[in-house]
Amino acid sequence: MASFKTYYDEQNLSPMRQLWVLFKQRHPARIGLYLFLILLILAILAPFISPYSPYTHDQTALLLPPAWSDDGNVEYMLGTDDLGRDILSRLMNGASLTFGLSIVSVLIAMAFGLVLGALAGLSRGVKSSMLNHVLDLALSIPSLLIAIIIVAVLGPGLANTVWAIVLSSLPRFVHTVRNAVHDELQKEYAIAYRLDGATTFQVLMHAILPNIFQSIIVVATMSVSNAILDIAALGFLRLGAQAPSAEWGAMVAESLDQLYSAPWTIALPGILIFLAVLSTNLVGDGLASALKRRLDK
Amino acid sequence: MIHYVLRRMFLLLFVLFSLSVLTFSLSFLFPGDPLNNLSGYQEITVNELAILEDKYKINSDYLTQYIAFLRRIFSGDLGISFNSQAPVFEQVNRIFPATVELAVYSLLVSIIIGIPLGIISAYYHRRLPDTVILTTTLVGYSLPVFWWALLIIFTFSLHFGWFPSSGRIGLVYEVPHISGFILLDILRSDIIYKYEALRNALMHMALPTLVLTTYPTTVLIRYTRGSMLNVLETNYIKTARAKGLSPFQVLLHHGLRNALLPVIRLIGLQFSSLITLAMITEVIFSWPGVGRWLIESIYQRDYPAIQGGLLAITTFVIIVTITSDILYKWFNPVSRTQVDGKF
Repeated sequence: MASFKTYYDEQNLSPMRQLWVLFKQRHPARIGLYLFLILLILAILAPFISPYSPYTHDQTALLLPPAWSDDGNVEYMLGTDDLGRDILSRLMNGASLTFGLSIVSVLIAMAFGLVLGALAGLSRGVKSSMLNHVLDLALSIPSLLIAIIIVAVLGPGLANTVWAIVLSSLPRFVHTVRNAVHDELQKEYAIAYRLDGATTFQVLMHAILPNIFQSIIVVATMSVSNAILDIAALGFLRLGAQAPSAEWGAMVAESLDQLYSAPWTIALPGILIFLAVLSTNLVGDGLASALKRRLDK
Repeated sequence: MIHYVLRRMFLLLFVLFSLSVLTFSLSFLFPGDPLNNLSGYQEITVNELAILEDKYKINSDYLTQYIAFLRRIFSGDLGISFNSQAPVFEQVNRIFPATVELAVYSLLVSIIIGIPLGIISAYYHRRLPDTVILTTTLVGYSLPVFWWALLIIFTFSLHFGWFPSSGRIGLVYEVPHISGFILLDILRSDIIYKYEALRNALMHMALPTLVLTTYPTTVLIRYTRGSMLNVLETNYIKTARAKGLSPFQVLLHHGLRNALLPVIRLIGLQFSSLITLAMITEVIFSWPGVGRWLIESIYQRDYPAIQGGLLAITTFVIIVTITSDILYKWFNPVSRTQVDGKF
């Protein structure tokens, strides 16, 4: 929509700022971002603000329903599980594990992906083409399958899950960075910068990186939503976080026996996984559409 | 095109080769003695030791061992499982169809639902039906599959009691194992109560299929919609509109054919994510497929079984992916670029 401009103002914002301006026009994306930030704060502060320890058993309060039910107790806002552990505290601590760890693992993957992708983007010829095809194929294998394979080799456990997630989201980053670097290198501003005498490294850092960073952010957001689902799924399959851990997927797995007698022990962690993934997807969708609109302009 | 197919075949060989090297090296990476891990015999007597050492060439260099390993794979010998002491290859062969069956039906359901909804969504771009469909897909896309499965079991199986929640068929029916695809097997067999058995099998299949179909359906809807919108923006669509065709006619004759081409490729890609999601679904619904079997082998550290299961699943996924790639390029010449061998 063409808007009427009273004053002539030249828009010379950086690519990231332009992206932000377009991003915040869309309301679902903004709501998603707020939810994402709330979860992020929860993930960081959980150990300090949770009312109980996620591992304390209270033998007098087993399987208490949430406080709004008639049998509920307001001391345990969201009820307790079969060992008398406070579900609210467990859910809060689970945020650092499921949500926090997926962000951490995606950040690690992003760092590796940037280096490897840049190296691959600079290479050419048979080696590069081979790499590209192998990456294509690696991308088409679902990340959860790769993660399960890696966990099968390394053995179950939360630390191994993180490595599995890092490795399984790596191909996507390498692929994106490689293609973006490859495309940007052909553009005139990169050539001009090189003609000014910049070394390859300088071209990469000062000319190309600021221009491709936005597409990497989009990929990173998508990877976070995948990583949350994968960590939770591995936790649920008892291949990831192990029994007493408050990881959301593991919590669902632990309460499976009480599906009928105490549905809230399963419903609540599931809702949180869903909200975490949904908010990430909303942000990702918003970013992707903002990026598309910025490039179309 | 031949050039492209050759390139892909070469890639396939290369990847399968790396996969076999990886599987081979797993026996050495896993804890325990490589000979136990390779053969599956946990306690080897002195007599057996000589035979096995000769068979697995365990005292020779790695290259000889690897070649012996390849020979065994091609003759269908993946060792025996630690647990059941039964040959891994036969086990995989027996249960793999169950997984494929579940995945194929879910894929069919998702195609039948997903593509029309995607088209409707694109046709009503930015109007009410589009918004409703898009919001629903976003929800479906974000649902963790295991939680969704539990919700479905809770509602339809525990609460209403309409459908059974585990297994493939009621225990009273004895279906002979021919192809491994249970519906086919029932139809081809001549057991009494054939149609009751068929109905029972379908009832067992309903919930897992519903769970499994959710994710690919949402992906298909979004992808079809995007692809359709891209096509609707092109100039030949504008030309067709300018000629006086109605929007519906344009959609049917000019839009669909071009928009559905990229979808073919996605359907192939979806198959691999279906196999992965099927693993989780199988665990929840006690579906006797390869995914549940593999995950149980991981719990029990049954290394020969893990190796065999991984090899089977990854080989299958890779072959399906490459086949769908080739099919896509075949149907859609426009997508062939110089890299793919068009000069």
